[in-house]
Amino acid sequence: MSEIDKAARLARIRLNESELEESAKQLEKILDYISQLESAETDDSVEPFFGAIESVNAIRSDEVSPSQPREAVLKNAPDTDGEFYVVPPVFK
Amino acid sequence: MELETLTASEIVKHLSTGELSAVECTRFYLDRIKSFDGQLNSFISVSELAIETAEKIDVKRAAGKPVGQLAGLPIAIKDGICTAGLRTTAGSKMLEDFVPPYDATIVSRLNDADAIVIGKTNMDEFAMGSSTENSFFGVAKNPWNEQHVPGGSSGGSAACVAGGLAPVAIGSDTGGSIRQPAAFCGITGLKPTYGRVSRYGLIAFASSLDQIGPMTSTVEDAALIMSVIAGHDSRDSTSAKNELPDFLNSIADTVGSKPLAGIRIGVCQEHFEAGLDSEVESAVRESTKVFEALGAEIKHVRLPNTKFAVATYYVVAPCEASSNLSRYDGVRYTHRAAAEDLEQMYCETRAEGFGEEVKKRIMLGTHALSSGYYDAYYLKASKVRRLIKQDYDLAFESVDLILGPTTPTPAFEIGQHSQDPLAMYLADIYTVSANLAGVPAISIPCGLSGSGLPIGLQLQARSFEEATLLKTAHQFQQATDWHQRRPQA
Repeated sequence: MSEIDKAARLARIRLNESELEESAKQLEKILDYISQLESAETDDSVEPFFGAIESVNAIRSDEVSPSQPREAVLKNAPDTDGEFYVVPPVFK
Repeated sequence: MELETLTASEIVKHLSTGELSAVECTRFYLDRIKSFDGQLNSFISVSELAIETAEKIDVKRAAGKPVGQLAGLPIAIKDGICTAGLRTTAGSKMLEDFVPPYDATIVSRLNDADAIVIGKTNMDEFAMGSSTENSFFGVAKNPWNEQHVPGGSSGGSAACVAGGLAPVAIGSDTGGSIRQPAAFCGITGLKPTYGRVSRYGLIAFASSLDQIGPMTSTVEDAALIMSVIAGHDSRDSTSAKNELPDFLNSIADTVGSKPLAGIRIGVCQEHFEAGLDSEVESAVRESTKVFEALGAEIKHVRLPNTKFAVATYYVVAPCEASSNLSRYDGVRYTHRAAAEDLEQMYCETRAEGFGEEVKKRIMLGTHALSSGYYDAYYLKASKVRRLIKQDYDLAFESVDLILGPTTPTPAFEIGQHSQDPLAMYLADIYTVSANLAGVPAISIPCGLSGSGLPIGLQLQARSFEEATLLKTAHQFQQATDWHQRRPQA
């Protein structure tokens, strides 16, 4: 399996043959551009920076408060039984 | 009264004195949208409730009841920001019929201030793009020249303000998506510090980079909108608890001819290297003299890791996006493809619902995070992100602001970069670093190209120092008239 095919499968996006080919070409160009990061000097002393605010955990008191009513949330779903989301069978 | 030439601050004043009613004002902009948006395509949806909301505000004011700070001011909101009961698509087929059950925090705050949401603006799908060409709803046009893009991803917000279809708009900025279109359309665009404005209700693209901000005619208007939308929100745990400055005070009148005395502005060599258009370069260099004349001290600074910013961004942002966009699976959000089983439903729904650029970035992120590649891509990029942040920390020891061009060129032509994603990505070369480091940045107009397209300059500041940015940018607008230029209809 090609790397692109694998990424598409992991991302749950179906691509046809020509899309796979085109994506492979474009992603190769981008990955090639990204490879310049190899030349950045990041020795063990450089800590990764994952977020713009390095705050500690934001905690709040565990209190019950109102949230969206079920009908309002289910309204945007393609298929529901009024109480739950309905999806096609998991197993054929 | 020629409303389309007034700033939002002026409109608010006329509304408060009763010279102008909220209904008149709202109707005026809705009519402008009807007349001109067929060409510009800056809106995806227009609110049917706007007039009704305006009537209520007029009644409230007439009855002598207290009204909000923005009472009666029409405002356009980027379509990636949730508005209760008003369709919110993020520019995607995936959310073509999505009607949010709740308002984003910034929308609640604007509503509480009695602003009137008149519509939702066009954008690159899920904010992925620099031209608004990636919108499922068609490309938006630059009001200065309709052959050119308005920039992106908040292209619709920039185009509607520049074209006088809304006095003010809200955008979001993940790698330049407020500042780059602001520069391309000749308006003011502020990306606040990460955490300054709540992201609750902003459809997530890259959560460690996304930030909401104002897109306006003037810095004064940006300060006005910030005074309403900024501040901690318990619904966004990354929103900052830092004390809020008086944003309006930062644009207060000053006495004396050197209002910027004591402010040190750094000009960075890395912003003036290969790839920078010569007209943009000379406009920005000329502006430097304006700041100097206003009393600022101009110094040289280095941001040596700027050269890695776009590469870092194109690892970090797609990685975060691949995770954020996994929620569009055909279960909860409107679009679902026909399928025999669950797995097929996921794959087909995502194949149909996402556009090309979005698919490409999801796959790039998925690949970069996949087993065996994490260290080489995501971890490495996050370490380089640290270097970029350290560059800023060091530079801000000797200067208060960093000045440079917002974009390497004025607005490019529609279709110009459609075959070459990298060329498009490089349009963000000067803007992505601020998102990676989390610092605030503003783009303001500073010139026009020979072909009549706007040029923008960018000022960046230390985290949470929007007040310094606004003050400095406001003084520039007091001394120049680039922000008053408008495209010929």
